Amino acid sequence: MLRLVKSICVGGFVALATTSCWELEQEVLTGLTADDLANSPRPELIDVLKQGAYASVIGNWGGHGGMWSINEVSSDQLAIPQKGADWEDGGIWLRNHRHTWAVGDGAYNGAWQYCYGIVAQCNLLMSQYPTIEGLNAELRVLRALAYLWLIDNFGNVPIILETDRGGNPPQNTRQEVFNFIESSIKDNVDLLPKTFVKTNLNYYSAHMILAKLYLNAEVYTGVPKWAEAEAAIDVVINSGGYSLEPNFFANFSARNSGSSENIFTLPYDANNAGGFNIHHMTFHYGNQATFQLQEQPWNGYTALEEFYNSFEPGDARRASLREGQQFAADGRTPILDNAVEPNDPDGPTLIFTPRINELAPNALRQAGTRINKFEVPLGSPNSLDNDFPIFRLADAILMKAEAAFRLGRTSDALALVNQVRARANAAPLSTLTADILLAERGRELFAEGHRRSDLIRFGRFNDAWWEKNPSQPFRNLFPIPQNQLQANPNLTQNPGY
Amino acid sequence: MRNYLQKVKAWTIAGLLMVISVGAAFAQGREVTGTVLDATLKDPLPGVTVLVKGTTRGTTTDLDGKFTITVQPGDQSLVFSFVGFTAQEVAIGNQSVFNIELAEDIQSLQEAVVIGYGTQDKKEITSSVTNVGAEQFNRGNFPNPTQLLQGKVAGLSVTRPGGNPNAQPTLRLRGISSFGATQSPLIVLDGVIGASIDAVDPNDIESFDVLKDASAAAIYGTRGAAGVILITTKKGSSKKGYANVTLNTFGAAETASNLIPVLSPEEFVARGGFDWGSSTDWRKEILQTAYNGTVNASVTGGFDNTNYLVSVNYRNNDGVVKGTNRETLNTRFNFNHGALNNKLRMNVSLAYTNTNTKDVNSEAVRYATIYNPTAPVWESGYNPQESSQDREARLALANRRFGGYFQRDLFDYFNPVALINQQQFTNEIKSAIYSYRLEYDITDKITIASQFSEDRLSVLSGSWFSWQDFNVGFGRSGQAGQNQFDRTTSIWNGTIRYENEIFDRMNFTFLAGGETQIFKERGFNASATRFLFDQSYNNLGAGYVRFGNGSDMSSFATNATLNSVFGRANFNYNNTYFLSASVRAETYSGFGKENQTGVFPAFSAGADLTQIFDMGIFSNFKPRASYGIVGQLPPSPTLAIGLFQNGNRIALDADNPFNNGFVAPRQVGNPNPQLKWETTTEINLGIDYGIWNGKVTGTLDVYSRKISDLLFNTQVPAGAPNEFDPGNFYTANSIWANIGDLSQAGIEFLVNVNNVKLGPVNWTPSFNFTMYKRTTIDRIGVGSINLPEIRQATPGSPGQNNNEIVWNRVGQEVGRFYGPRFLGLTERGEYILSTERPEEFEDLGSGLPSGDFGFSNSFSYGKWDMNFLLRGSWGHLIYNSFRGFYENADGASNTWNSVITKNTPISPLVISTPTFSDLYLERGDFMRLDNLQIGYNVASRSSSISNFRIYGGVQNLFTITQFSGVDPEVRWTDDGNPLAPGIERRNTYFVPRIWTAGLTITFK
Repeated sequence: MLRLVKSICVGGFVALATTSCWELEQEVLTGLTADDLANSPRPELIDVLKQGAYASVIGNWGGHGGMWSINEVSSDQLAIPQKGADWEDGGIWLRNHRHTWAVGDGAYNGAWQYCYGIVAQCNLLMSQYPTIEGLNAELRVLRALAYLWLIDNFGNVPIILETDRGGNPPQNTRQEVFNFIESSIKDNVDLLPKTFVKTNLNYYSAHMILAKLYLNAEVYTGVPKWAEAEAAIDVVINSGGYSLEPNFFANFSARNSGSSENIFTLPYDANNAGGFNIHHMTFHYGNQATFQLQEQPWNGYTALEEFYNSFEPGDARRASLREGQQFAADGRTPILDNAVEPNDPDGPTLIFTPRINELAPNALRQAGTRINKFEVPLGSPNSLDNDFPIFRLADAILMKAEAAFRLGRTSDALALVNQVRARANAAPLSTLTADILLAERGRELFAEGHRRSDLIRFGRFNDAWWEKNPSQPFRNLFPIPQNQLQANPNLTQNPGY
Repeated sequence: MRNYLQKVKAWTIAGLLMVISVGAAFAQGREVTGTVLDATLKDPLPGVTVLVKGTTRGTTTDLDGKFTITVQPGDQSLVFSFVGFTAQEVAIGNQSVFNIELAEDIQSLQEAVVIGYGTQDKKEITSSVTNVGAEQFNRGNFPNPTQLLQGKVAGLSVTRPGGNPNAQPTLRLRGISSFGATQSPLIVLDGVIGASIDAVDPNDIESFDVLKDASAAAIYGTRGAAGVILITTKKGSSKKGYANVTLNTFGAAETASNLIPVLSPEEFVARGGFDWGSSTDWRKEILQTAYNGTVNASVTGGFDNTNYLVSVNYRNNDGVVKGTNRETLNTRFNFNHGALNNKLRMNVSLAYTNTNTKDVNSEAVRYATIYNPTAPVWESGYNPQESSQDREARLALANRRFGGYFQRDLFDYFNPVALINQQQFTNEIKSAIYSYRLEYDITDKITIASQFSEDRLSVLSGSWFSWQDFNVGFGRSGQAGQNQFDRTTSIWNGTIRYENEIFDRMNFTFLAGGETQIFKERGFNASATRFLFDQSYNNLGAGYVRFGNGSDMSSFATNATLNSVFGRANFNYNNTYFLSASVRAETYSGFGKENQTGVFPAFSAGADLTQIFDMGIFSNFKPRASYGIVGQLPPSPTLAIGLFQNGNRIALDADNPFNNGFVAPRQVGNPNPQLKWETTTEINLGIDYGIWNGKVTGTLDVYSRKISDLLFNTQVPAGAPNEFDPGNFYTANSIWANIGDLSQAGIEFLVNVNNVKLGPVNWTPSFNFTMYKRTTIDRIGVGSINLPEIRQATPGSPGQNNNEIVWNRVGQEVGRFYGPRFLGLTERGEYILSTERPEEFEDLGSGLPSGDFGFSNSFSYGKWDMNFLLRGSWGHLIYNSFRGFYENADGASNTWNSVITKNTPISPLVISTPTFSDLYLERGDFMRLDNLQIGYNVASRSSSISNFRIYGGVQNLFTITQFSGVDPEVRWTDDGNPLAPGIERRNTYFVPRIWTAGLTITFK
């Protein structure tokens, strides 16, 4: 009997010693492996995967708390007033507006992750299909767009290539990132299609990236490149494919994919490409009835009074701000806010006034005009259908005007500015200064994500306004997010933090 | 199973004695006869040993319990003994007929302990194992089996904050054992590993055996890292031809206790609240007294080597919040048969449970606390300034839009009564377990066995939002969905067991086996919006929108395989020295190819010192030591593989999406082909003791464990190259990896005192406590990832969405609250906080307990009995969310009602915007009279009724605590997140006080 026990013991240990032969195959029932993709005979696959990479750009751009939010709320145009506990949110939006943000504030990490999510999707796809030249060129330009946002917001960031391996990437200087974006565009732009497709990058939108880079070259590297910027813009303006829409708001309507002015857009779709919820961010709870929204809006983002006042009365673009009494969808049933604060000047009737009593802590719930630039169709869900314009011709024209102005050709600049103003029925200007140019960009490009970058380039970001005190120049870059510093010890915090 | 082997032994001994008695019969003497009965059941007891004291002469009772024995002059007394019963000694005198009743010996019934793939004599056990038999269970309305154990086992925490009948208890054995992998002990039901707890009714359970340390759990290898709870269900008895029918039924009445006080309508208006002119007690509107019923019926019986149990259990439980219900029907069939002279033993066990649940939106509980008390339930009210025409229009509009309910367009403002009535969430849970087992004794020393079992769970969930439901359905014109989830776990194992006295007084038991487990999961989900009529989830086709906001269609499936071999050797030298060693090797398909196999060894040893030394008052004193390694599985089997899941829906031609649309494959999670076993290494030192001949018994355990290669979904540098999968990039912001080390320790103590005589009253108290050295984070990091901390848990909306209040830092304990300290209030009532800068936030304490205790008491007095359990926890802080949002007299007070608790500052009232600080952290220490039951055994004169007991009881009679929230119970997790303990959320279900009355009848 002992012998039997012994043999069982021996057998058991032999089995243990040879466990490597036990390798089990893991079945995959939901999802695809890299091999499945590589062996696919479908001709559409590459196109679908490429659009999938663009989907990561659509991702979190236009949602609350992302890239768009930190670039707009930190400007002199928008704020999120705190209404008691509502919108206190750990103080991060007050700090964003007042330029007193902390390195641990989550929104900056969200923006960083958004940009690097695009970088990773592009790199992964390039490493899967290294030989398809056109695809790789387009993905390199798309990656450069993400780096344009990174250089603008964070400055000194790691450059990650599709050929990189191993763990934490090293940090690069802002100059290196500048050179990387520049070469990414220049080396690949000729491989991009010279069509006027808006939802993918093409030859012209690639030049817009280059133009933005050069326009801000002095901020990024200390060396201005106004002429290079103008040259890049000219490629776009002279392409013949873009023209100003007679109706300013046609560029922002729910069915704006046909806009002749938009150059590169994020094609949001309520069902298939969600994430654009500016109506929820800005409108009052009661406005649910105005638009018959599927969910209640959040009563957050409001325009600053000073910005509202910067519009001359006839300027069509003033309708970018929603003001006055609010009605239900029938246009006549007044909306009432029965929890109105006792000190609200016009009582429960919901009326958006340009004046905001204070930023915090007890802003009136009905105070401030709201973002009205993007059409909100009746019955909208929490995501909108409007394609978000990242680049459009009016911006290009004003960029050219700025380049000309900086190069001393003020009358050229004035003509370009007046071209944009004329479309909005605004009276032509007769003089041009840097401040006037900045204000014009503000009125034209309100809530399109450009304002912070513009203020920095014009040296106005550190100014005091409304309830914001002067800020120090180091605030022109956001901090490298604390989570990223923790995850990657190669990163050094931006100076000043 | 528990004393089955011993019964076999008893027969053997009895047989030997018979041989001896034949020899003795040659002497002269007189014959005496008699009958031996079971004192409780009044059934004849066959096989009872009848021995003349001080001699080797004896006999055994026959199948009718009768015996005949010859006594010699000078014989003093007869001793009647039978395994599982207390021996009785009777003086012979001149008597010639003896009618004896033997009482069951509860102590000795516990001697066999289930240890995984077998049983072991309690005295041989050298690891930390606790047995809890039926007589020790909690008594009351406990629909979940694990609630029977609450407060009974040192180191086992069973918590169920709030009182939702559909909430499952959270189980933690020895505190936190992991972050990312399962933290709940493995349930093994009659040998079925990982069985659904739903598959067994509490009434069918005979005993629990809790394997607490790694050396005991290691035989379950991978799945035992959080401990193991073995459940043994009742079996039939093999007394010839007898069947017992037992009926147990009780009713319960439940009312909500401990509602947080809020302002009256007058006080609310005085604070600036908007006055709608009505007066509503919202809690009264959504609460009810729940009348519940339970019926258990079972038939047990057997003959020769066959026994069976058939039971049916029905439980219907309404919650104290209207609209919540749980109804369960459970059927069980256990059948055992021994063939070939009981050498071939077969067992079939079938269980089927059908559970229907109804739930309401949990936010209804919050709105019932904070909704404007001057608002009416239904749109009504009369305003003198309002014309009758306006009033008619207003009522008509409310009728049309909201079904007549009062609703207003305000932020976070939903009528709780409407919420309960215009939304519905149901589950239909079908759980089946079938298990077949064969055992064969090849020789009297070698037994082979094989068991196959399948555990099938099927859950059909429905959700429905009326088109008049202002919260969700209104904007979407109604919404409904169904979700089907199926899980099947199949297990086959084979074992061989050898038991022999290999040397003089050296008993050796060896077990070896192999096992395959296959896990399958499958789900299907569909939902639609825009319904013309309310048609619930039973007609999804009536919804116009089938994809997009609130609507969807999706499905998934996973398969995984776990193969194992295992062996265990036990040595027992002279019942004095004990040694046990086991090893299990496991291969799991869901790990990286290089790391699929893990080996989990364990050793333990002990010695009963009372067998070696004279230990004075100690009748048992067994120090023991054990060491073991156990492993953990990842939460999904496909984490190691780079998988492309469904990304955006892409229309290649926007003008013709129906012919050009596809879903883009997208790498949603980062693959980690190097993923491997999480391991827990544990050392346990313990003492089993008995004093004064078993009058006092108990155990003391000290343990220390280290968790390595912790499985966790950890943050990665965004976009960086995936270092675990060269060539891949981090498209997601986190990756499942083996990232850290934890360490933890604790002490557990148990003492039982048997039958203390308090005059005519018998008292059996049992006291246990555990003290935790809370889990410390030694490291978070792998490869180039190295995190100093993980912050979790924001209080929520409004206004506290971005401040994480629980920080888990390397070198510190898991689950510390961080924030500013509250220093006081200004005269106006503004906070004075230590700082507003997050970098200066202080460690404010822990949400995890430093100890738990349970004090069980059992009294008997004649035919009366009483049991109660006092239990509690100490050392944990709880964030009181209601106070953290709704006690300040700030700008929000005009919208929402305010809570006013015993801990709320009232002079002055706080006027600041609510911000987290230690003002809202409260000590959670509590002691609760958890359950109490008084019973009376009615003497039965009927020959067909052997037992008739009536009883009544109460649960949650009182709680002593400083905590001013709903329930001071320990929160081990925050909705499943183990890194955010100690938070009482605002949707915590009210705690009920439960009164029960019932009766148990056993028919012969």
